[in-house]
Parts: sequence; C-alpha cells; structure tokens
Amino acid sequence: MYGQGLIKGLSITLKHFFERKITQQYPEERPVLPDRFKGSLTLKVPKCIACGLCANSCPNNCIKIESEKDENNKKRLTGYKVMLERCLFCGFCVEACPTKALLWTKDFELTKYFREDVNLDLFSSYVPSPDDEKPAKPAKEDEESAQAS
Amino acid sequence: MQISNTIATGLKDWLMGMGFSATTTEMIATAVWTLAVILFILLNLIVLVWLERKFSAFFQQRRGPNRLGPAGFLQFPVDIVKVLGKEDIIPAAADKPVFRIASITLFITAILAWAVIPLGEGMILEDLNIGIFYFIAIGSTATISLLMGGFASNNKYSLLGGMRTVAQMISYEIPMVFSLLGVIMMVGSLRLSDIVKAQEHMWFIIPQGIAFIIYFIATVAETNRGPFDLAEGEQELVAGYFTEYSGIRYAIWMIAEYGNLVAVSTIASIMFLGGWNAPFGLTFIPPFLWLLIKIYFMIFLFMWVKWTYPRIRIDHLMHFGWKFLIPVSLANILVTGVGIYIYRMITG
Amino acid sequence: MLKTQELTLNLGPHHPSTHGVFRCVLNLEGEYITKAVNHLGYLHRGIEKLAESRTYTQFIPYNGRLDYVAGMLNEWAYVMAVEKLMGITEEIPERAEYIRVIVGELQRIASHGIYFASMALDVAGASAWFYGFRDRDEVLDLLEMVSGQRLMHNYMRFGGVAADLPDGFMNKLDKLLNKLPAAIEEYEGILLGNEIFRARTVGVAPVSREMALDYGFTGPNLRASGVDTDLRRDEPYSVYDRFKFNVPVRQNGDTFDRVIVRIEEMKESIKIIRQAMEGIPEGPVMAKVPKVIKPPVGEVYSRLENAKGHLGFHIVSDGSTKPYRLRIYSPCFVNIGIFPEMAKGLHLMDAVVALASLDIVLGEIDR
Repeated sequence: MYGQGLIKGLSITLKHFFERKITQQYPEERPVLPDRFKGSLTLKVPKCIACGLCANSCPNNCIKIESEKDENNKKRLTGYKVMLERCLFCGFCVEACPTKALLWTKDFELTKYFREDVNLDLFSSYVPSPDDEKPAKPAKEDEESAQAS
Repeated sequence: MQISNTIATGLKDWLMGMGFSATTTEMIATAVWTLAVILFILLNLIVLVWLERKFSAFFQQRRGPNRLGPAGFLQFPVDIVKVLGKEDIIPAAADKPVFRIASITLFITAILAWAVIPLGEGMILEDLNIGIFYFIAIGSTATISLLMGGFASNNKYSLLGGMRTVAQMISYEIPMVFSLLGVIMMVGSLRLSDIVKAQEHMWFIIPQGIAFIIYFIATVAETNRGPFDLAEGEQELVAGYFTEYSGIRYAIWMIAEYGNLVAVSTIASIMFLGGWNAPFGLTFIPPFLWLLIKIYFMIFLFMWVKWTYPRIRIDHLMHFGWKFLIPVSLANILVTGVGIYIYRMITG
Repeated sequence: MLKTQELTLNLGPHHPSTHGVFRCVLNLEGEYITKAVNHLGYLHRGIEKLAESRTYTQFIPYNGRLDYVAGMLNEWAYVMAVEKLMGITEEIPERAEYIRVIVGELQRIASHGIYFASMALDVAGASAWFYGFRDRDEVLDLLEMVSGQRLMHNYMRFGGVAADLPDGFMNKLDKLLNKLPAAIEEYEGILLGNEIFRARTVGVAPVSREMALDYGFTGPNLRASGVDTDLRRDEPYSVYDRFKFNVPVRQNGDTFDRVIVRIEEMKESIKIIRQAMEGIPEGPVMAKVPKVIKPPVGEVYSRLENAKGHLGFHIVSDGSTKPYRLRIYSPCFVNIGIFPEMAKGLHLMDAVVALASLDIVLGEIDR
C-alpha cells in the first residue's frame, strides 16, 4: 500500500525519540580507549640507546635525535624532538624501537594554543619513574621474536 | 481569559481614570496588546528553537544542547547575542534596499497574522469578522518576501531558491484555503472566535479529518519545512534564498519562519482541534493552556515529519499539490456541502 | 527583446554535498542540467610522487589517506601488490590472511555505512544519516581496537599484519554482528522503503550495462548495472575462495539500485566475517620477511575489490628500497567520469543524489 513506508519511518523515529540516548558526554565522560590507541608519544629516557631506528623509520622525518658519545664510547641521548605537526601517527617509530623506550600514550587531547607547543620535546619533558631505571640494553630476544612472528 | 480580560478592562478603566479620552485609551490598550502578542511570539520562539534542537536530537538518539541553562534552554538566547555581534555582510552586487527589507517584510507578515489569532476567549487583538480570510491573505504575502530575498542576493543559489518558493507556495496556498473552507461552511462564519465556539461539542477534526490532513500537508509546504523545504534545499542550494544573509538579518529570517510555524499551528488548533475548548470535560486546566498544549502538539507533528522524511523533488511536489491535494480538497468541500444540505433537510 | 539564457552554476569546490572538494560547472535550463563539466584536483597531494621518496614500508600509512573511509582495504591492496612483487604471497601465514579478511570486510561495512549515511543526507533525511553513522562508529571502534586508529589504520604489513587480534576482539565482533542486521533493517525502514526516497531514486540517472562497461565502472556501481562481477569471487585473492557468499546484482543501474547493491553487500560482508570467525586458525601473523624491503627489479600490477570497486596498484621497482614509480588505479576516479554524462537532463536535486550514489571519495580521486 502506498504510504506504508512513510508510516514505518515515522514509527522508527518515534521509537528512537523515547529511547536512551547514546551521545557520550565527552569532557565529563572519558572515552574508553583500547590498549593499542595511538595518542601522543612518550619516551622512557633511561631505556633509550639513541640508536636512531625510530628516526629512520619515520616516513616524514619528524623525529630529531641528538646524542653524544660518553667516555666508554657509548651513545647517550641528549635531545629527542618529535615534530608532532607532521606526524602521521603511523606508529612505525614505536614498532622500530628495540628497547621499547618509545611508547604511545592514551592522551588524545593534543590541541594547543600555539603552533610551537604542538611539537614534543620528549627528552626534557621526561619525568623519571622507578620503572624506567633499568639499564638500557637492546633486547635481542625481542628483536628476533618480532622478526619471527 | 478571564484574567486577561480583567487586566484589559482594568487597564482601560485606569487609563480612563487618568483622564484620557476613549480613543486614546483604546489606542494605548491596543498597543499594549500588540506588545504582548510580540512578546508571546518571541517567548514561543525561544521554546521552539530549543524544542527543535531537542526533538531533532531525540529522533536521532542524541541528547541535544545541554550545556547552557537547564537542559540547554539558554542556548538560543545566547545564540541571538552571538548573532547580534556578527558583522552585517551585504554582498557588493546585491540589490541593497531590497536585500535589507526582505527579511523584515517576512517578519512583519508573521507578526501581522497574529492580529486575528485568538489565544483564548476574548484574548484577541481584533476579532475581525473575516478573521480566517485575513490570515490567509496575510500569509500569502510571505511569498513575496522570500522572492525578494532570493532575487536581491544576486546569488544563483538564492535565485533558484526564490523561484522554487514562489512555485511551491502558490501551489500549496490553494489546497490550504480549500481545506479550511469545509470548516467555514460548517460554521457559516469567518470569525475565528465563532469557529471555536462551534466546536464546543465536537472538534472539526472528526467531520473534517481529510481537510485536517490536507491542511497539515499544505502548511508544511507553506512554512517551508521538511520534507517540503525545497526553498532552502541545503543539499543543492546551500541555503536557498537566505544563502547570502548573515548575522541578525539571518536571525530575522529564522524568527519569522518560526513565527509562521506557530501561527499555522495555532490556526490548525483553532480550526480543527477545538481551540481553547477542553476535551473530555477536563476544565480544570485553563483554556489558554489547552490551546498551548494543542499548538505544541501540532508543532511536535511538524517536527516529527521533518526529522523523518527525505526531501521531495520539486516536480513531484507540484504533481502532488495540483493533481492530488486540490482535487481531494475540492471533493471534501463537495461532500461537506452535501452533508450540510442533508443535515438541514433532516433537522428542518 | 526578451530571451532566455542558460544559467551557469558553479557547484563546488566548497558546497555541502560534493563530498569533499569536487567542483562541477553546471549549465542549467530552469533547474534541469544541460551540461556538466567536472573539475578535479582540489585535493591533490601528490601521493604517487610521495611514494617515490619513501621506502616501501614507509608508504603503507599513506594508503589510509587515499580513500579515507576505507583505509584498511587500501593498505591491503598496496601490501598485496608489494607482496606479489617480492614473491612472498604464498608465505603469508593463514591467520594473517583471515585477519585481513575480517578487518577488510569490517572496513567494507564501515564504508558502505558512510555511503548510506551520506546518501540519506543528500536527500535530506537527517535522522537516517545519524543512524548510519551510529553503526559505522561501532565498526570503527573494533578497527581501533585492532590497529589503534579509527581511520588511518596502518595495520597491514608485507607478509602479514602488524599485530595479532587483541583479547576480547572476537566477543565484541560477535556482538556487533548480532546487532548489524537489525540496524540494516532499520535503514530499510527509514529510508529505503520510504516512498519519497523511492520517488527520488528509482529510475533516476540510470546507467545501462553498456554505458557502465564503456566508462570502465567497477565494483558495486557496475553490479548495480547488471554485470555480475566481483574480484573476491572471480579471481579470489587471499582466502576468499574458502567463503561462500552471494554477489548482489541489480539490473536497472539507477540511483536506487546502486544503494540497494551496497546494502546487500553489507549483509554479505557479515556472512563472510562470520565464516572467517569460525575458520580462523591459530598461528603467527607475520611471515619471515627481511627488515629492509628490497623487491627484485620488475613491475607488478595487483588489484582487489575495494568498497568502491577495483583498486589497483602498479609498482615499478628498480631493486632499491624505494619504488621507482607507483601508480594507483582508483575506482572513484573512474566512477566520477560518468557524472557529466549522467547529469545531462537531470534535475539539480537529482544530480546531487546521483553524485552521492556513485560513492566518490575525493581523497582517492585526486590522490
């Protein structure tokens, strides 16, 4: 019958009218993010061996690493800058990191008032935490397992 | 209505007591009443815009505005303040005088229509004996404002929107008038208060159900609301006739449209839903509130339809208007006439 | 002397319903279109050229920027091409292939969901638009679980996928698949069965079988015109030969059929995901591939069935770590070619709907 579809449509909208609403009240209600969420980046500085794999893997060359050689001829990190304004959030840098020093955070509110604030300086903004104080050593097993899997 | 009557007579008595002549008293009382009507429209407007946002949100499983004021009620007043602060942009190539007055003329027609609309027994600015006729006449002048806005903007989208408006509103004027004719024939008067009085025992939606549906469809088209909002047609015409309007001029378009929406809803409640007569003897609710409830029921219907249906195409709209609505409304008049004739024969 | 003149209307590049920055110059007689000319390139980012300065791996995330509503399928197409070039197609673990099918079909549902939603909006059915987006969002939640991002996934890798499915994914997927059929039924109720919508779409902008083939249509648009073709069935890649599914075909090729074909495809995608969930084996998700990708000298063309049609990648390798030349065969670009022909004689309102029904994504057209 002509008009059946019209009435069906009205009944569907009326059903939703009295339904529970699904909008998330964002600033009060925080979104539940999955573990793999790619938000901002964080660097566990003591773990970093300044190998430069992350910088090499980056498609847009966003990562700038500064390092110096110490007395044992070991590289030591002196600066780590991420140009977040050019970042694709692809995650290749995190995947490339052999010591799992570079990690994603769940912080997605990256809006800033000034353009220069967008970029991250992960070296100087690092807050020491006891978990990170382990000696930095490239985890050979990890690398191999990553290749194998 | 008793209250308002008391206020009105009280005001008149007080003014007489101040030593004004009868004419001056009458004029001042009219001015006060006019202000009251405009206030009523503007108050309604705040509620309406809020309702439109809330209802559309509810139909779409959203919450709608809920930050400013209780349940987001203050969103619209704040929006108006924002809009007032906007730059008034008039396109360089626009027909400036016409561009300026277009939105205001629509607003004026929206206000003028309220002169004859009663909000309760005796709560009327001027109880004309041709009340409904006056309403229809004023309502149809809205077309020219929309065309003015569309033409003066010197924008192709606006022009197309304006042309669509003229075609649509002229076509849908006719079934609207015919649908009201059935009621007028049954009452035998064009005075709106008479029409309400005639519905004390039976609302005209029962004998004139078809007319009510036709009136509803035609007024959806008349007020440019979905699914007949072709004049705006934001998917193809950006915003139709008010594409180039910004700031407070744009706000006046919106206010006028909502004013029209309240006006046609009120007319529908008065003509078909018994006006301020209480149904089922529920007289403990004051008549004025009954009318408001009916008006808002109508507005809910308008919004429900708008937020459900996709937009109709202009040629289908024309076909529907001329080939379906007009014949049906004419048939309705015929049946009503025959019915009245038979009724008179029986009752003598 | 009075005379009439055709109105030239510049539709776009910013216009509510050109789905991005598509520009079309229309000649109007009244409101009927007499001539339409496409202007493309407003979203050109030179992605093909960018590929030449990126290594093979580094180019994977750029694929999500092509057809940004079906990023997973684009990545898959690119990864498949490079795998073919490297000759490791056979080495991909089975679990990885199944995961690819699952996320790929989820992405297809999401893409068709957004198609339905934008279609609804272009006929001004705002509520239906929200319903479409509501369900697409839940699909994206799942993809976010898998890849960490909602749109630009960067999940596919040469020889497999970046990571195994997370814990609890299968449960959520099952829940979603139980919900989707009801949602699709709702789409049919609110829009597809609606008389106004049918009046707007049935018989509008028909593309005949011959015309569709002449213009090189692929994918759902071609199937709507009565050509029974689907790469997933006709030249099965990945593990598609193990699944049983129908290929919905419609005959008229009008706007309505193009919508219906996609809605039917969503149902078929649900079927495929269900079968993949049952058949998914345990095991690794990455083949053994060298860290530095250096495909042998040569060239390859590989294509798959994207949500919009055949998405092909032609890669020329000079043996270095970067592609010598990369060319993308974009279904949207091909599909939009018919718009000037299609729009002729259409009402302006219908032209907008017909454009939406072609399912264009400007990111892929301009690249």
